[in-house]
Amino acid sequence: MIKILKVAYKNLLRKKARSGLTIIGIALAAWVLVSLLGFNRGYESSLNRDIDNLGFQMIVTAKGCPYEAATLMLKGGTGLRYMPESVAEQITKDPEVEGVTAMLMQAVFDPNKGESGGYSAYLGVDPATFPRMKSFLEFKQGSWFTDPDAMEAVLGYEAAELEQREVGDLLLITEKDVEVKVVGILKRTGTQDDGTIFLPLKSVQKIFGVKDELTGVGIKVKKEADMAQFEERMYKLPDVQVVSLSQVKQTIMTLVSTAKVMVFSIALIAILISVVGVINTILMSVMERLQEIGILKSMGATAWDIFKLIWIETLILCISGGIIGAAMAMATAKLTEVLVRQLLPYAPSGGLVQINLHLVILTFGVVILIGLLSGVYPSWKAGRVRPLEAIRSQVE
Amino acid sequence: MMKKIPLIFVMLVVGTILLMPAGPLFGAVGCDLNDPDRDVARLFPGSTGYKTNYVAIDQRGGPSLLSQIEDRLGDKFKGLFETIDVPYTLYEIFKGKDKIGYIHGVNEKGQYGGIQVFLVLDLEGVIKGFYFQKLTSRYGKELRNPRFGEQFIGLTLKDFYSYDVRTGKTVGASGVANIKNPVPEAEPDFRAALRGTKKNLILVDEFILGNKYLQYHQSGGEENK
Repeated sequence: MIKILKVAYKNLLRKKARSGLTIIGIALAAWVLVSLLGFNRGYESSLNRDIDNLGFQMIVTAKGCPYEAATLMLKGGTGLRYMPESVAEQITKDPEVEGVTAMLMQAVFDPNKGESGGYSAYLGVDPATFPRMKSFLEFKQGSWFTDPDAMEAVLGYEAAELEQREVGDLLLITEKDVEVKVVGILKRTGTQDDGTIFLPLKSVQKIFGVKDELTGVGIKVKKEADMAQFEERMYKLPDVQVVSLSQVKQTIMTLVSTAKVMVFSIALIAILISVVGVINTILMSVMERLQEIGILKSMGATAWDIFKLIWIETLILCISGGIIGAAMAMATAKLTEVLVRQLLPYAPSGGLVQINLHLVILTFGVVILIGLLSGVYPSWKAGRVRPLEAIRSQVE
Repeated sequence: MMKKIPLIFVMLVVGTILLMPAGPLFGAVGCDLNDPDRDVARLFPGSTGYKTNYVAIDQRGGPSLLSQIEDRLGDKFKGLFETIDVPYTLYEIFKGKDKIGYIHGVNEKGQYGGIQVFLVLDLEGVIKGFYFQKLTSRYGKELRNPRFGEQFIGLTLKDFYSYDVRTGKTVGASGVANIKNPVPEAEPDFRAALRGTKKNLILVDEFILGNKYLQYHQSGGEENK
């Protein structure tokens, strides 16, 4: 076996340029394959993480109430609807609920803020449940509120940057003429939390005179929960609307699946091109060495020996190309990611191209399979060579 | 025969690629006009067009430029958000093909929130207009009154060298000394407006005017004393 390997290796070295180019072709196909699979894996997990980072999979709001600051601003700071705090208690009792967090959003208009005034939105959150539910939030400065009804604020990074606030600074709720002290600045998250000003729920209720009222309840359900059925149950609560982030996720994932088909089509084309390249190279090599194969056979080599020799040559090419391609994909993963981010500026945060050992082994397996398949025909053709005819044809 | 690629070259290329940042790069926030088409026409009547330029201290000169700017300002850039990588938006204003002036804004830390101080300047760096694009203050109405902004008209960076941003005091008979705070209680925001204006003028001088006013800083503002 080692002898055949050596002979096959030496045969490939006889036409260095051709062998080299074939290896490059296979390496490029392997590179494309690993990178595309890595992108597919990275994109999906980044998207999943971004959606999971929202902290809760469902928000229940009073019917018609905007459920996040952007919608509230679009409505000109109006349209807030309230539901009693007891709704949160009711939801907590559901056996499929892992946790709930009560929220109260308020907006004030400051006529001096911009050319024609501007709105500021404040989100009242429960200090006992909200930080636990959004455990991924990290602080650039400071920490959460010192007291459930403290006149304190925690700012998302972009809100702090716009307001040029740091821990210890004051924030003025203009319409109410109330000062609150900044106690925390969050690190960037890439989510809407970056632009949010958080206050303790009780403080917002007190400042805005909406005691025991909420605008929304964030719900985290247990992993094994049936979301559809749970949603149905939530709709049975009086005068509420349900915003399920799992639906949003499902819709996005459907779109991603469509893109996946495109990605795999490109990978398939790359593989087909490399298969044709390998067959062409080996077949050419067989044709050029007909006389040599004839002599080998006349010296006692069987058809199976010749088949093995040519097949191993194909395998050497594919394995070499596979190793180089996988290494290239791993080395350029970060560059690929930068390029993808240039093309897709709104791609989810986090690693967009995730290449791991499993992916490399998978690609390697695919490349070896390509080698085995594409080597069959040239090897079979070489094995069928008749010694006398082969020797004569070359002499003529 | 294929030539061998030197190992060091391969290592350099691979190293550079591996060290490239993979995550999104977040820059600091700049200070743009909310609606440039509308605002330029309003702030620069008679203008027919504008060109937007983005400049940052770290791109133009790095730490040495920052310390020169801080020296001219008489104060350090401080806090989480007044950093070397803040992208400044400079609007060059045109009338037909002729450049007629500049509009430039900076963020400044006010008592209760971020203040955005915009200056309308002629080609010589003389203030033709002063404008708070954003201001959160109990006395926003008084500070946004056009009469307050009018006090800045005609002043240049030369005048502002006599203003000490740390103490809020003016040395000599500079035009800055004539700028009156409309409400004594609004002192923190008043001082923030003056600091923002001085910083704004220094940045325009560094980025656009070719340090035309640097000589007055080096003379210690003597001419104003």
